[in-house]
Amino acid sequence: MKQLISIEINGEVHELAVAPQDSLLHVLREELGLIGTKKGCDTGGCGCCTVQIDGRAVYSCMTYAMSVQGKPVVTIEGITENGQLDPLQQAFIDAGAVQCGYCTCGTIMAARELLATVPDPDESQIRHAIAGNLCRCTGYQKIVDAIKLAAANSA
Amino acid sequence: MSDVQNYLSPHRLDDAVKAMAGGDTTVLCGGTDLSPQTDSGLREYAGTLMNIRRIEGLSGIDLIDGQIRIGALVTVTGIGNSQLLDELAPVLVEAADQFASDQIRNAASLGGNICNASPAGDMIIPLLVLDAVVELSSWRQGTVHTRQVSLDEFFTAPGKTVRQENELLTAVIFDQPAESFVAHFRKSGPRPALEIATVSVGIGGRLENGSLSGVRVAMGAVAPTPLRARSVEATLEGKTLDAETIRAAAVDAGEQATPIDDVRASAWYRRHLVCVFTEEVLNDVLEN
Amino acid sequence: MNRKSSDTPIEKTTLIGKRVRKPDAPDKATGKTRYINDMVLPQMLIGKILHAGRPHAEIVSIDVSAAEKLPGVHCVLTGKDAEGLRFGFVRDNVALKNRVRCEHDEIAAVAAETEEIADRAMALITVEYRDLPGVFTPEDGREKDAPQIHDDFPDNKSLHFEFRHGDLAAAEAASEIIVDNVFRVHHVTHCCMGTSCAIADFDSNGKLTIWSQTQYPYNYKMDLAPALGMHPGDIRVMQPPVGGAFGSKLDVYPYEPIAALLAKKTGRPVKVMFSREEEFRSSPTRQPAVIHMRTGCTRNGTLTFRSADVLLDNGAYTSWGPTIPVVMMRTTTGHYRVPVVHFNAQAIYTNNPYAGSFRGYGNVQTTYATAQQMDMLAEQLDMDPIDFHLKNAQQSGETTPQQAFLRECALDECLRTAAQASDYSAKHRRYTLAREQQGRYKKGIGLASSIHNAGGAKIHKSDGCGTILKVDDYARVTVITGASEIGQGIDAVINLIVAEELGIPLEHVTIVNDDSDIAPWDVGVHASRTTFIAGNGARRAAVKARQQILNAAARMTEIAAQDLDLRGGFVVREDCGTKVIKLEKLLRRMHFQPEPELVMVTDYYEPNSEPEGADHRSDHSAAYSHAVHVAEITVDTHTGEIRVDRITSAQDVGRVINRMGLEGQIEGGIAIGLGYALSEEMQLEKGMLKNPCFRDYKVLTAPEMPELDLHFIESNCAEGPYGAKGASELPTIVIAPAIANAVYNATGIRFFNPPLTPEKVARAIWDRQQTETGPSADR
Repeated sequence: MKQLISIEINGEVHELAVAPQDSLLHVLREELGLIGTKKGCDTGGCGCCTVQIDGRAVYSCMTYAMSVQGKPVVTIEGITENGQLDPLQQAFIDAGAVQCGYCTCGTIMAARELLATVPDPDESQIRHAIAGNLCRCTGYQKIVDAIKLAAANSA
Repeated sequence: MSDVQNYLSPHRLDDAVKAMAGGDTTVLCGGTDLSPQTDSGLREYAGTLMNIRRIEGLSGIDLIDGQIRIGALVTVTGIGNSQLLDELAPVLVEAADQFASDQIRNAASLGGNICNASPAGDMIIPLLVLDAVVELSSWRQGTVHTRQVSLDEFFTAPGKTVRQENELLTAVIFDQPAESFVAHFRKSGPRPALEIATVSVGIGGRLENGSLSGVRVAMGAVAPTPLRARSVEATLEGKTLDAETIRAAAVDAGEQATPIDDVRASAWYRRHLVCVFTEEVLNDVLEN
Repeated sequence: MNRKSSDTPIEKTTLIGKRVRKPDAPDKATGKTRYINDMVLPQMLIGKILHAGRPHAEIVSIDVSAAEKLPGVHCVLTGKDAEGLRFGFVRDNVALKNRVRCEHDEIAAVAAETEEIADRAMALITVEYRDLPGVFTPEDGREKDAPQIHDDFPDNKSLHFEFRHGDLAAAEAASEIIVDNVFRVHHVTHCCMGTSCAIADFDSNGKLTIWSQTQYPYNYKMDLAPALGMHPGDIRVMQPPVGGAFGSKLDVYPYEPIAALLAKKTGRPVKVMFSREEEFRSSPTRQPAVIHMRTGCTRNGTLTFRSADVLLDNGAYTSWGPTIPVVMMRTTTGHYRVPVVHFNAQAIYTNNPYAGSFRGYGNVQTTYATAQQMDMLAEQLDMDPIDFHLKNAQQSGETTPQQAFLRECALDECLRTAAQASDYSAKHRRYTLAREQQGRYKKGIGLASSIHNAGGAKIHKSDGCGTILKVDDYARVTVITGASEIGQGIDAVINLIVAEELGIPLEHVTIVNDDSDIAPWDVGVHASRTTFIAGNGARRAAVKARQQILNAAARMTEIAAQDLDLRGGFVVREDCGTKVIKLEKLLRRMHFQPEPELVMVTDYYEPNSEPEGADHRSDHSAAYSHAVHVAEITVDTHTGEIRVDRITSAQDVGRVINRMGLEGQIEGGIAIGLGYALSEEMQLEKGMLKNPCFRDYKVLTAPEMPELDLHFIESNCAEGPYGAKGASELPTIVIAPAIANAVYNATGIRFFNPPLTPEKVARAIWDRQQTETGPSADR
């Protein structure tokens, strides 16, 4: 039983027909074609689908699309402004934090909340902030390096 | 595969409990338990899915007349960031910091964690140590009716509580702990973000001259429900917290635990950890 | 640009050893990359597979009529639709089964308009099974009266491998110390972040296009064809970006021919994509094994022999897993100087999930045994392990019993570097002494090493790679290579090599390697071969193009070609860097002249190695490499938790090409190896997986990773590109025994069965206390 709702994603309001149990991940990918938010497990176990709602990182696979009405959602596609990459995106590229890249967008979105609240995080804060994001390629070292680099570049 | 017929997102408590009056309502808040449970078929949706996140007045953490009241909608992040709790009930902040990943903490609500009634529920153990009660609201005779149930008596089985189908958990309440009250929490797992506690232990009491009184001991994932270990409390009550008492309490805690073998750990290991953690938490309490 | 700056000479610089970013990183970091999992084609149907959900059974009946009638369902296939279409290494598999041999066996498949309809259709299929007694360990499978899993494989025997060198009895008699242990290494799985996915589509001529995650596109055609009853030439393989592979995509798995069979039947493109739970249950594993190993030495610390008797849990079907003995025996015979070696391996069919290849490919398993036995022997000799290792370490110019010729061997330097950087010997002594003292937390340090092929491995008839390189009128270069990109970074390596040879900016190189109709042949991404083989290919092609360009420049300028160089997009004088002509201008002149020429070259690089051969005596790789890891850990003796504090790694990489990519491979390899050592385990109970999710299958997270101290030893391999050797498997291979040796150093307890979970460690420590002090009353 779908209902028409309007949700704000990356500053743009979308009118969509959504079933109450549809996840935000499903709506982002299947309805809006925002494929940067990845489906890795669909059960809140890998972090590939991380987006920000009201500035906070959440798993979009566990978030009900209906519940984000009136709450601004930001996805990886929404953090590049006027062609200017987010400092985290640039740092992930420059520090070699991207291998297969499947976890990259979700990890950037998790790190984004960290840098917004702790501009100069230490190693342990960084590692804990991305503890909900699995990466099978990098061993996390280059990801941690990238977040440090982004913090330094934003300072 | 049942389809949800109706979606509600009330702003007022009375609207919410009115909607629940007829049953057939699935309550949604953070969705971090509901979503995987319904996806895996462990749970079915009722006809109405009701998002309670927007209900006003259930998102506060307040000290009122010597009692601390935490609204059911407060997220685990909200607990972890609370100045008030950090001062008055730091054991809750300690547990919140060890709760899953940032993403789950940001979404998961206190009320949801309690109502999910997992024997391993991370926020439940410290709340048992604080001797909390839960407030249940329902629509009765044209008004919002509330009752309080001791958290200790709230759980009946894994995933089961005394909450009726028409009741909404609206708050958690406990007395402001005495100045001398000390409590700590310990959970297993080197992989905190994605770990479901193999075992957790929380212990609190008034620490005066090296001895504990008003002791409360709670243990997670060692029984079908989160467990108050009263005999361990008796072992500790009024005794000087020396090595011998601590050892005796640890041994007793191991005996009180009735864990199971499952994919996460054997019963032996769970019991073993209960002893280790009891000893560890008591030493933390002593060193506070 | 003013005249002055344009006249500035261009100095000779090199990119080799620099930090170069992956060309696909910007799209991946912005969410633009369309992975195969993201792909949607017009008219595309969704395919779903019904898995058996029981380990061993006959199918009494199957009824799909209700599913077929569901609106939106286009077809339902069952075993009868794949009958006789046998595929696999020994032709023991079919895409859809008439009998159940493991939990995930594919019984039926549906193609429907949407995933939801497909799921509903699955629920409408009724199957009546008659369960059969199963075989769940290779030991049980060998029993006389064991249930037979395949009619045509008597006694459940799958592959067998043997190698003998020297007189074992004499060597044993001459040994003063012998260690003899049984190691049991477990089931783990790849956990690619992008789940398995295939999209199949037939054109009107009957040609199949399959979008696949494969990491070996050319042999893939050969392997896929029999599962469809097709000619391999009628298959086109497309390789969109993938969310990891790690060896898991080196074979054909049933979901791939199923996608094609559904597409054929419906005449529409069909996408099959696993859920995460399906991924855990139905994708390949690392080969588990029971390894009975014996190693001997003399009192003065000289190795005398090594023997390994290996039993492999084949699982229900034969993929690459049971072929790992070809690598296991290389380690058994080549890990240190071992004069006498006997190796025997038998794979036994069971009703467990079956293994494919997984980073480290047999060497992970064997090194877990060899590297611990080296540690045990050193202890029994009362010798510093480093001295024992150095005494037996091969040197350049030595040949192993299997005839692997170690041209540039840097084991010695790896050992000394890792030991020195970690202060290994002093800490090892100190922690050994501290073991006897009181205290909850115990520190330990452990060293392990291994050898691996680093210049390909000629297990096929060819180990080559084709390259086509063209330079256009604007000096933009396209490299069409057979080498697949699976996240490992061969794109950056080829990019760097071509830019190096042609003196052009990195951004001016495009790599095409995603279409088997375009790119030339390559054996696949495996065996730590791609930088070596495809790197050599790219370099050789670029050198040919460079020569053509310089010759043309020489003709136009009357400066000898050998006095010219390509730098910064210009032809310059080799000696002083003075600009002679802008490269793109030269290219246009070459093109638009009376005798026009285009720069487009091809290369097929076949390494100078020898085929593996039936007797396993050959120099099967163009290079060999060693790595040494030192693990420093802290054990909580109460909870059994192991915290890994630091890993020091010294590895012979030949020569660093892309430093950033290399570091990433070593770091990532260590993480996968640490998971294997500490926490990852497929918990199987009578063939059924109990932990098919990330909560219970524990991949390491960021806070658990230790500090890493990486040392690259550059042995300058004569055959490798710029001296480089392959590198990506050794870090995964060496780490687990380093951890096990460290845990022994900390606790005095040996662990023969990874993973070293907190429970396993706590239990072992507690059991030892019981035997030392007698059962205590309290627990």
